[in-house]
Amino acid sequence: SEDETVAVNGESSQKTQVLKVAFNQPDTHPQYKAMEQFGEELKEKTNGAYEIEMYPNELLGAQRETIELVQSGTISMSIVAGSLMENFNDEFVVFNLPYVFDSKDHQLSVFNNSDIIGNLYSSVEDQGMSVVGAFHGGIRNVYNNVKPIETPEDLKGLKVRIIDSDTNIKMMEKMGGVGTPMGQGEVYTALQSGVLEGGENNELIYANLKHSEIAKYYSYTQHLMIPDYLIINNDLLKGMSEEHRKIFEEGFAKAVDNAVNLWDTEVEKAITDAETDGAEFNKPDIKVFQDAVQPLLEEKLSSEGAKALYDKVREAAK
Amino acid sequence: MNTVKKVLDKILAVVCIALFSFLVLLVTWQVVTRFVFNSPSVFSEELAKYCFVWLTLFGSAFVFGENGHMAIDFVREKFPDKMRMGVEVFIELVVIVFAVLVLIMGGYSATSLAWNQMNATLHVPVGYLYAAIPLSGIFIVYYCINSIYLIVTKKKSLEEIDLSTTPKAKSDLQGGM
Amino acid sequence: MDVALQAALILLICVAFLLIIGAPIAVSLGIASVLAMISIMDFNNSLLTSAQRMFAGTNSFTLLAIPFFVLAGVIMNNGGIALRLINCAKVLSGRLPGSLAHTNIVANMMFGSISGSAVAAAAAVGSTMGPLQAKEGYDRNFNAAVNIASAPTGMLIPPSNTLIVYSLVSGGTSIAALFMAGYIPGIMWGLGCMIVAYFMAKKRGYKSDERVSLRVALRVFLDAIPSLFLIIIVIGGIIYGVFTATEGSAIAVVYSLLLSFVYKTIKVKDLPRILLDSTRTTSIVIFLIGVSSIMSWVMAFTNIPGIIADTLLALTDNIYIILLIMNLVLLIVGTFMDPTPAVLIFTPIFLPIAVSFGVDPVHFGIMLIFNLSIGTITPPVGPVLFVGAKVANLKIESIIKPLIPFFVVTVAILIIVTYIPSISLFIPELFGLVK
Ligand code: NA
Ligand code: NA
Repeated sequence: SEDETVAVNGESSQKTQVLKVAFNQPDTHPQYKAMEQFGEELKEKTNGAYEIEMYPNELLGAQRETIELVQSGTISMSIVAGSLMENFNDEFVVFNLPYVFDSKDHQLSVFNNSDIIGNLYSSVEDQGMSVVGAFHGGIRNVYNNVKPIETPEDLKGLKVRIIDSDTNIKMMEKMGGVGTPMGQGEVYTALQSGVLEGGENNELIYANLKHSEIAKYYSYTQHLMIPDYLIINNDLLKGMSEEHRKIFEEGFAKAVDNAVNLWDTEVEKAITDAETDGAEFNKPDIKVFQDAVQPLLEEKLSSEGAKALYDKVREAAK
Repeated sequence: MNTVKKVLDKILAVVCIALFSFLVLLVTWQVVTRFVFNSPSVFSEELAKYCFVWLTLFGSAFVFGENGHMAIDFVREKFPDKMRMGVEVFIELVVIVFAVLVLIMGGYSATSLAWNQMNATLHVPVGYLYAAIPLSGIFIVYYCINSIYLIVTKKKSLEEIDLSTTPKAKSDLQGGM
Repeated sequence: MDVALQAALILLICVAFLLIIGAPIAVSLGIASVLAMISIMDFNNSLLTSAQRMFAGTNSFTLLAIPFFVLAGVIMNNGGIALRLINCAKVLSGRLPGSLAHTNIVANMMFGSISGSAVAAAAAVGSTMGPLQAKEGYDRNFNAAVNIASAPTGMLIPPSNTLIVYSLVSGGTSIAALFMAGYIPGIMWGLGCMIVAYFMAKKRGYKSDERVSLRVALRVFLDAIPSLFLIIIVIGGIIYGVFTATEGSAIAVVYSLLLSFVYKTIKVKDLPRILLDSTRTTSIVIFLIGVSSIMSWVMAFTNIPGIIADTLLALTDNIYIILLIMNLVLLIVGTFMDPTPAVLIFTPIFLPIAVSFGVDPVHFGIMLIFNLSIGTITPPVGPVLFVGAKVANLKIESIIKPLIPFFVVTVAILIIVTYIPSISLFIPELFGLVK
């Protein structure tokens, strides 16, 4: 393919395959940095057979569109939000539901457990792609400009910005608030003007978008822990030699760990920044929220496969 | 003007007017649900986006039928008549190549690739939504062939042939913003 | 050959050739982008990606504001709203020498503040003012020049469709901030035109209007209030985040339609024609945006903007000189290209360079649109110039001479807007829209 260029360094004239990766966040994001390091190691360990080239900031399109580009082989890989994978196999929904994971460690242990994952990642092979694995994508918590949230009662009547989806609207309703879909670019002014009272996101977004200035109560409701998947073109993955594939998969596992460590550092920094802006953090007892969303889980886990997967995930938490 | 063009013009005009009216109602309804009833509508924004793409795809085809797309024509106008007609035929051929490659062939691939991909909000396959691309491509190809036919048979420049079969409003708002 | 260079060359040569022979701009950009893509990528993937980009590039709720503002403009134009604003402008500027010229300018600014289009203003205001000015014995070329020179203020004074396009291609720069930033530069443009018109009218000995009685003035204002109220609802609503620009534009449609029904100027049977006309304008612009997104994708894929940036930065790393070079390029481009395609092509190339020097994307957007707005009134391709000449029934050649002083003043204001960021950023900062 045209992605191949002849490596001129050294005496080898081996071809280097450049793996183009689409990414929707800026190049300062922990996942970006981890992928870059992954790329360097991949190049070194495969003696230049593979190389990674990152395209940040949605340069190659929004996440949903980049999935199609991976399917067709226009680009090699993309990092996409877990909720998008539901559109290709609805069993992916399990990891996107509220309170599925108890902690970051629980989440990572699930993704490292091939007994739980089963053939979920390869289930989309007939659609031209495969999931390499999952990154931790942060923990979403509720924030608002009225008061610290301790119970669903506290959220009553508060309009909270959510990502546009049926699940999210119902989730926010069960948690006590009014879920309001809105583009991220408009949330700041909406919070300022009182169209919204709050939002829900991880600490990085909360601090980086300066929502901490105008919605100072950040409450650890910990309701969502949606992973980000690295997806790859299926022919490309199948075309890798056994040796290269092993290097590739080990390298990715390491990238996941690196991204988590970077993430933790960033979160600490974000909390300090937000506190400088006047933000206050509180930890409610999440049991009441977990109970409140239970009916939604039952509604969403409609298929046998999804139900079985959910049970395995919960089993791993014990 | 032949009947096929008239009928196609009419169909596209009716579809566009219907989509446009629906869009106005849909977005107004969205504002009302959000601010009057305090219960945001989930699907309206997503549905509006797709209706909008369809409107502009079919609308663009319609405008190709009127030879109305923005062009820089001050150079072409200086050409002698025969050469101008030749250039116009060439341009129509370029448009056909574009429509066949991108809209019909590319649009068909995109549609079939996304045939099993669900749109989470509207609960329809994304492929159905993409299908408007190859469809509009077919209309554009027809209009271009028709234009070439008119240039060749009437031996006139396309500029001198009145291609519009639908009335225009009083104001002149074509092109530019 | 380096893939980026190869793609860039194919793009440039194809686009230039097709544009010169007069192929539709959208198709010129589209076919050139596809050929560039095919030269560096698998054939079928190139076609699929192109089709997908066309769809995705227009599948945006933000862009939906454009058809609505276009539709609202057509309704206002047909529905007696434009006329009421012109009457209001007449009362406001009656005391100045050459008062009808000032009325024309103020009317264009007022029309601009309810419509997103400069062409609409030139058509609506020009066709109403022309006969009045002729009756007063004004030179028709002077009248047309005044109308043409001041119509583009509507592209800076919000709402502005071109600013919406910029917001999108610049990666989601806040529309509310851009709208607020457009006010002072837009008004400066209008005032600049008034200064030129003042001296030209004085030289020609044009009189001011006789004084209007307070009663008449009051009646005109009262009559214009419902039309002016539209500005407060739509812009106010967008700025205060009550609704998005798209929702605001839908409200503009509904409001202007209701007003026109009240004034009995539009009947239900006129609606299909009005909608179809708006479809034409919208489709032309949005099709272009879709096709440009194929081009942006090829450029991003091959890192062409990065290469252009490196080349430019190798020449100089002085931001003042870089902005000067950008302005010169844009002024030249603007003479033969409409603002929308120029915004689509040059934003991805120039904006990252400017931002790397700390230029605010909002300020850069205003500079870009201001610059390209000047292009709408210059030959050989100037949509506002064409429409203004058409409604005045004049040849373009004869309008050029009285237009020259206006060019000089607008370019001078462009330089001020470029080098003093706070002219653009003052109001958005006041509203906390720029950080
Ligand atoms: Na405007
Ligand atoms: Na021009």
